[in-house]
Amino acid sequence: MINLLAQSGFPDAMHGVTLAHYLVVSALLFVIGLIGFITRRNLIIMFLCTELMFQAAGLALIAFGRYHLNFTGQTFVIFILTVAAAEAAMALALVVLLFRRKESLNAEEWNELKG
Amino acid sequence: MPSTTAILDAITQLLPTMQHDAPNPAGTSTPAFFPLKSLYALIPLLPLLSCILCGVFAALRIKSKLPAWTTVLSLAVSFVLTALMARDLWSGGHAQTGVLHVFDWINFSWATGAGEQTKHFIANFAFYMDPVSTLWMLFVTGLATLIALYASEYMSGDLGAGYCRFFAAFSLFVFSMACLVMADNLVLLYLGWEGVGLCSYLLIGYFYKKPSAVAAAKKAFIVNRIGDLFLALGIWLTYVHLGTVQYSEIFDRIQPYLAAAANGRFDQIPLVVQIIPLLLMGGAFGKSAQFPLYVWLPDAMEGPTPVSALIHAATMVTAGVFLIARTYGLFQLSEIALPIVAWTGGFTALLAATIGMAQFDIKRIMAYSTVSQLGYMFAGLGVLTSGGAVFHVVTHAFFKALLFLCCGAVMHGFAGQLDLRKLSGVMKMKGWLVVGVGMLIGCLNLSGFPGFAGFFSKDMILAEAFSHHGHYQWLGWLLLFTAGLTAYYTFRVFFRVFVGPKYFEPGDELHGHADAAHDAAHDTHGHDPHSHHAKASVEHSGTHPQSEAAEKELADKAHGEHGHGDHHADFHPHAPGWAINTVLATLAVLSIAAAGLYFMGAHGGFVPHLVEQSSANLIHSEHAPEHATLFGQNPHAIMYYVSGVVGLIGIAIAYVLHLQGRTTAATSKADALLPAFGPVAKAVQNKWYVDEFYDFLIRKPLLVLSHIFHTIDQILVDGLVNLAGYLPKGTGKVLRPSQSGELHGYAIGMAGGLAVLLIIILWVART
Amino acid sequence: MGSIIHPAIFFAVLVLGSLGVCLALPRRKASPQLFGALIAGLAGGLLLIAMGIAGRDHLPNIYFYIFSLIGLGSALRVITHPRPVYAALYFIMTVLASAGLFLILSAEFMAFALIIVYAGAILITYLFVIMLASQAPEEGEIEALATYDTQAREPIAATVVGFLLLAVLTTMMFRGVPQLPLPGPVAPNELLAQMPRKVESVLRNNRNPDTGQPYLKADGTIQITEVAPSPAHPAEPLFITINNPGEEPVVLAQDKWPEELTVKNVEALGFDLLRNHPGSIEIAGVILLMAMLGAVVLSRKQVQLDEDAKANQARKLAQDTLGGVNPGLGRSPLESTHAGGTR
Repeated sequence: MINLLAQSGFPDAMHGVTLAHYLVVSALLFVIGLIGFITRRNLIIMFLCTELMFQAAGLALIAFGRYHLNFTGQTFVIFILTVAAAEAAMALALVVLLFRRKESLNAEEWNELKG
Repeated sequence: MPSTTAILDAITQLLPTMQHDAPNPAGTSTPAFFPLKSLYALIPLLPLLSCILCGVFAALRIKSKLPAWTTVLSLAVSFVLTALMARDLWSGGHAQTGVLHVFDWINFSWATGAGEQTKHFIANFAFYMDPVSTLWMLFVTGLATLIALYASEYMSGDLGAGYCRFFAAFSLFVFSMACLVMADNLVLLYLGWEGVGLCSYLLIGYFYKKPSAVAAAKKAFIVNRIGDLFLALGIWLTYVHLGTVQYSEIFDRIQPYLAAAANGRFDQIPLVVQIIPLLLMGGAFGKSAQFPLYVWLPDAMEGPTPVSALIHAATMVTAGVFLIARTYGLFQLSEIALPIVAWTGGFTALLAATIGMAQFDIKRIMAYSTVSQLGYMFAGLGVLTSGGAVFHVVTHAFFKALLFLCCGAVMHGFAGQLDLRKLSGVMKMKGWLVVGVGMLIGCLNLSGFPGFAGFFSKDMILAEAFSHHGHYQWLGWLLLFTAGLTAYYTFRVFFRVFVGPKYFEPGDELHGHADAAHDAAHDTHGHDPHSHHAKASVEHSGTHPQSEAAEKELADKAHGEHGHGDHHADFHPHAPGWAINTVLATLAVLSIAAAGLYFMGAHGGFVPHLVEQSSANLIHSEHAPEHATLFGQNPHAIMYYVSGVVGLIGIAIAYVLHLQGRTTAATSKADALLPAFGPVAKAVQNKWYVDEFYDFLIRKPLLVLSHIFHTIDQILVDGLVNLAGYLPKGTGKVLRPSQSGELHGYAIGMAGGLAVLLIIILWVART
Repeated sequence: MGSIIHPAIFFAVLVLGSLGVCLALPRRKASPQLFGALIAGLAGGLLLIAMGIAGRDHLPNIYFYIFSLIGLGSALRVITHPRPVYAALYFIMTVLASAGLFLILSAEFMAFALIIVYAGAILITYLFVIMLASQAPEEGEIEALATYDTQAREPIAATVVGFLLLAVLTTMMFRGVPQLPLPGPVAPNELLAQMPRKVESVLRNNRNPDTGQPYLKADGTIQITEVAPSPAHPAEPLFITINNPGEEPVVLAQDKWPEELTVKNVEALGFDLLRNHPGSIEIAGVILLMAMLGAVVLSRKQVQLDEDAKANQARKLAQDTLGGVNPGLGRSPLESTHAGGTR
């Protein structure tokens, strides 16, 4: 099973940075974003962390596009960017509304689905 | 059944001194079975119809005696049809076996694979009327009609729902008994067997508000059930080994075994077949109240007297005898079956006789005498006089029914009083003569007084017992001694209750009857109540122990109002009406006439002649056994004298102890003798502590077990159910915190779940 | 060869890193945030050093490591900083680092698009909303921060989950690791056929090293023909025929092409986008329109408070602020304004 784990398929000669490097960075970014999302209670910061996760996804896509020498990766990232922008706008508008209701940005105050 | 003819031939050629030497019409070409008219299917179905009608009457809340008349009518028609059927079957000089297929009941055939025959299980609703069952049906339906008539008056205190219930159960009983007797296969017999058990339970527990009656009903049913288990096992074993439950086929298939048994070669008969009669015997002992399953019969006297008379004297308890007679062929295949039957019967006879000697309740004494006489019947079957046993069944049915009905009349007239220490000189009271005479005739029969039917039937059994060499001689002496005891206790009852100084005390039911019912009962007799009381007061003035002044007061009171002030002084026994008297008279006449059966044919007469041509016939070896002698003579010849002497001695002792010089009802010379017997007397009075023994051995452990199960049920079963209810609740309680309504918790859950899922996928896909 | 680093070491470093992250998250009491950050940084550094030592023969591209470190460090700071504005600023730094990574991956357009859109637009919006929706205290007055910012919620559970996920993801990533092909012409040269003007301008602006003259004279024309690869010319899918006036047509061989005559990333991306995903562009436009309209609609709504609730709210806010200050100042401008505001 150890062979299945990290770096089992490294090539004999390492010609620079491999795809794996980028993917690791992407994964790290993603997980950091996830932890931030789970941990922080400020609504706006939570959305910021989701943006971090978007970043990670984009990085992974670009890396794969580079690996396959295919422009689809970059195209996809363009659209992700578009959607992320739209989503950020909506999310912030909603956050404003939520703030008006409870006068607080604390995500824990929204627990009416409890029980 | 062609092979029966062969056996008949064998019998007639080999028997030197057995039953009859009438010419055997074996040469005539009689058909194997006589097809009966379909009309005779009504014989059991009419009582069933009457049962349903009584149920309807109960639903319609009928308060008249209509249920009784319906029952009497249906039973009477059944009896007439049975008589016609008997005439059809017996008219040719040679009693034939009639068969009638009414409808298919259980009829399965199935293939069992290549190369094997198809298997069958056939148990149809069909009749197999061989002479024994025809004879049985005659006296069952006849007695049932008479007793239903008796009950119409006896139970009239309970008009309404109780009356209808009684007659419904009564009719159902007759239907079940008919199924039992007329069946052509063991399964229909079992249906009838269970049916009579059920009706016995229903009728013993008729007074369901009395705890003792309910307990007695349960006891009867449960003890019967033990016997039924053995019977069921026997039937299954029969099916498994012989492949059929129909009598005709059974008799066919045991032919080779019979031939082996005739030669004494029991080793050629498979053990399985030898076990079947032992199992069937278990069932017979349960139903016919032999040791050790007899304990229910004395308690069954809690039921109304007509029930005791019909069911527990004449019909149901003889079902065991019938079963053995029917499967007599099977019984002869085992070396030990018939000896066990004989000795059990003998032992039970002695045991019950000793207990009967010390009881004070006259119905209970009669019950023990029934047990004792049933022992005689079983002994008769065991010593190979099936003819004698069946004859005893017939005579016993009549005189025991008569005895019970007389006791019932006494009970009815004295408000439930049955203690022989509280009644005396009843025969001398006005209106009680018929009862008294009936009782006397019954007692004479039971004691085996020479010339009466009971005498002849008992003799056949005793003679046969003494005819065998070996251990049966001891059985014979035992039965003879028991005959003496029987005579003693029977006439103890008669001399205490019916003759002697006049005395009576009312029983417990004085307060039990509603006044209205009492009046109604009075009116149906057609007596003017006041005139009745006047007569009673006049009659009492001479012999009543109370003073004359009190008598006058009594009479005035009676004239004045029909109230019950001082119940004791005001009570007047009421003599039986026309219905009861008619029935008693009929039965008395019949029981005398039954003696005539003995003379209709040589060596035992009509009944044994019939029995021989039935399934209860005997096989005998080629070498006729040498008969033993009694006092140097042929037992058959001298038995009359020996048993006659013994009976008379018993009666004489009873006279000396219970009548001669007796001035009160409560005591007699016997009481003075009691201490001489010491602890034995005490044991006998307590019925040899058998009930207590069963209580200790069976009832108490079962009670403990049931408590254990109850606790287990409460803890385990209820606990499981509660757990099933608690589990969702508990799960909900545990899981509810996960629904915190907070985003973070959900996010952790999702991310964690995703991680776990991916781990699982990776683990599964590791290659 | 087996693995570069033993997987156990890798995971141990990851554990150390997550411990550091856990500690670095803001806590109620005096939190070892700095300490945590140091540990996380240490873990990251150890990982890189380990990988560097293991592959020291072939030093990888250093810029990758620089940008990655900056990016990850900033991301860490995003999630650990108690003040929202700083978190947003750090996020901008993350975006910059990410853009740098894109550059290394020869995705220049995406890098700048990322900076322009993300850092320039989205994050500015975030900053605005943060500033509008919170009560920003002065420097050093950290008590005025809302507790929901200063306390991290369930740090341990979050870190454990994150580590699990990370372990799983990296496990999947490292199966059969391929290497990136050498940087080279990342776009096929066939696209040049679509860009005749570019070809012209390049040929005009570059001089043929043999002749010293521009490839294409001022009034010359060119012809570009596409050829299917043939055994004779397997790697030359394109023929450029230069028709200079006064000269005979010259077929320019590929090895004589000027260096500039390659398809750039932007051009290739543009062609790919418009050729293969025209519909998506339209839809993306619609999405943006909807977002715009939605934002306008959403932010127009006003929550009606009745008089009592508003009075209570004012009182509460007065208590919340730093005593003595004008209650009006402490109120966030984002709160609803009634038709006749209480101010």
